[in-house]
Amino acid sequence: MKKILLVAVLAASTLFSADHVIDQKGKTFIPHEITVAVGDTLIFKNSDPFAHNAYTDDEANEFDIGMQSPGTNASVTVKSAGTFSVECAIHPNMLLEVTAK
Amino acid sequence: MIRTLVLSALVATLAITSVSATEDMSKWLRPSEVPQPKNNKLTPERIELGKLLYFDTRLSSSGEVSCATCHHPKRGWTDEKPTAKAVGVEGRVGPRNSPVVLNTAYQNRQFWDGRVRTLEQQALGPIEADVEMNMPLDVLLPKLRNIKGYVDLFEKAYPGEGITEKTLAKAIASFERTVVSTESPFDKYAKGDKHAISDKAKEGFDLFTGKAGCVNCHDGFNFTDGSFHNIGLYDGELQGKELGRYLVKMRAAWYGVMKTPTLRDVAKSFPYFHDGSVKTLEEATAICAGGGRFEHNVKNKSLSIVDRHLTKEEIDKVVAFMHTLTGPDMDLTIPTKFPQ
Repeated sequence: MKKILLVAVLAASTLFSADHVIDQKGKTFIPHEITVAVGDTLIFKNSDPFAHNAYTDDEANEFDIGMQSPGTNASVTVKSAGTFSVECAIHPNMLLEVTAK
Repeated sequence: MIRTLVLSALVATLAITSVSATEDMSKWLRPSEVPQPKNNKLTPERIELGKLLYFDTRLSSSGEVSCATCHHPKRGWTDEKPTAKAVGVEGRVGPRNSPVVLNTAYQNRQFWDGRVRTLEQQALGPIEADVEMNMPLDVLLPKLRNIKGYVDLFEKAYPGEGITEKTLAKAIASFERTVVSTESPFDKYAKGDKHAISDKAKEGFDLFTGKAGCVNCHDGFNFTDGSFHNIGLYDGELQGKELGRYLVKMRAAWYGVMKTPTLRDVAKSFPYFHDGSVKTLEEATAICAGGGRFEHNVKNKSLSIVDRHLTKEEIDKVVAFMHTLTGPDMDLTIPTKFPQ
């Protein structure tokens, strides 16, 4: 019974998780602030004609997309609740504030 | 009727074009003020104190080197040497080209590798560095506290705070924050004086923002977007300081990358690149717009560094444009007498 409940909860969380597109355009993250749910996906889209590299050093949500070519998308899943900053490793003036609930 | 509508639409289109053209140039205009931290607002007392400290050779262990030795206003706020030679401190040679101080107030990462964010954090590094001024702060601070003239000036600038690491850094940063570009021919052009620069320079600007791809990194009024790149000056595995920002943290994207320098007054601040390996703007442009010095076997080379197939004439035009970024020297009296 417990197993069934767990599977149901996991299925529900997958079912209800949302995708959020973060555009990287004009060397800014658009939007530059976002509130999401744990389990949601951030889709980083590169609309600039040069590379970007979104990352965060936040311990609970650490990720590093790596060098992302123009015209491509890259996804990460938000793992933990909290507020964290995402930067571009190439363009440190680019900042995204993520609040995960 | 149709003719009237078409004419109206045409007029409207022209109006929109005109507005957008103005907006396009606005990003190149110099701001009227420099950013200042809340805990170190600029005052005449702080700027004057910082200026004295900046030019005072007593801040080095040999008594012969000041901040200005490697970042001099008469040498483009750098030293015109390939590396940051700490002249007088046993002739030690720094590993990188002295970066220009000009417009660092607008940057949110300092040094070639961006290892600190603020001018206050940056100011003390060269004083303590053994290849630069080689002066430990636990020696320097008591020395300054024994100079009555400095005690009085620190008290006026930072009342009640004394001569400490913090006030020393704040004062030098305050002076550095005043080192900003003056009005160049390009600024006049950007504000609407279409005769302020030559036709050759205008064509160079079009190349700069177009085919040559310079604007990908040298963007905005300061002609840098603060980004970090490996421009392919070396191939193979990098060693030591050539690793650049990777020494700050071993992030793959930071392997061999250095900060994009400003192009303001760039004609005054030769030689070029972090290693000072290039003497002319023509050669620097040819490398950046030609895919780097090494086309292959460069780990983590910037995707913006590709061969743009510029002709020699086109490179000359880009360089002609870069010369229009040179303004007159800022109004500055270099101190010759120091507090006693």
